[in-house]
Amino acid sequence: MGISRQAFEEQVLALLGSLNGVARRLTANPADAEDLVAETVARAWRALDSLESEAAFRAWIFRILHNTFVSELRRAGARARLESLECDGADEEEAPFSIFEQMHQPFLLWFSNPEQEFLDKLLRESLERALAGLPDCHRVVVILSDLEGMSYGEIAAALGIPVGTVRSRLARARGALQKILWRQAREYGLIADTTIQKEKDSVR
Amino acid sequence: MTKREIKCEQALRQLFQYIDHELDDTRREAMDHHLHTCHSCYSRVEFERRLKQKLGELKKDDADSKVRERIKRLLKSF
Repeated sequence: MGISRQAFEEQVLALLGSLNGVARRLTANPADAEDLVAETVARAWRALDSLESEAAFRAWIFRILHNTFVSELRRAGARARLESLECDGADEEEAPFSIFEQMHQPFLLWFSNPEQEFLDKLLRESLERALAGLPDCHRVVVILSDLEGMSYGEIAAALGIPVGTVRSRLARARGALQKILWRQAREYGLIADTTIQKEKDSVR
Repeated sequence: MTKREIKCEQALRQLFQYIDHELDDTRREAMDHHLHTCHSCYSRVEFERRLKQKLGELKKDDADSKVRERIKRLLKSF
């Protein structure tokens, strides 16, 4: 089907911040991110006939960005990154982890709310570090859902995976993210001893 | 019509779909109803929603003028 040249340009420029933001988080390098976005836009223009409708543009161009990044990794022989991006093993890892379950103390209901206090103290830098610490395939679904506000259907189309996989992967990714945040908080002494004891009792 | 009752276990199973607005109307209404009556699940949903919101705040318009100019030049070349 495709869209007009003007519509293509408008869509690309409207999404440029998002495309570059995701590319930066994938490549961890501004210059590589810029090259990835430029290559994505060039490939998108060449593949314009494969776009089914203007409404599908965002998922379609993110799919091209993702595939372009995968191609670059293959070309560079970056096997570990490819495995991380394709979720080899990461989808089956460990039981779900929840900070809420670690911290929530119903008997303190009227006096204190430890899990909300945890969020109040949570720094942007800590969240960035935790996000960067996720396996690529988990980081991508969190970015597309929570930063880019995509629906499960859009994420599925962008990554070429079933909607059910998006759902389960997102749940695991959020658990993994919380586990990293929890460890960071423990390292910085932001979690009280009683809570640490609770974690030792239940996590191990 | 009687609202469909759900238990905590089911509410927790679909909590991410709830905060991501991915539940159909029937399931969403059942969740709403459960959260009105279960403080523990309500607190959990609020926690996950706030964490999602904080992640959303990490998004920034990441295309500086250099990238924007490069892409504009590229678009003109097509």
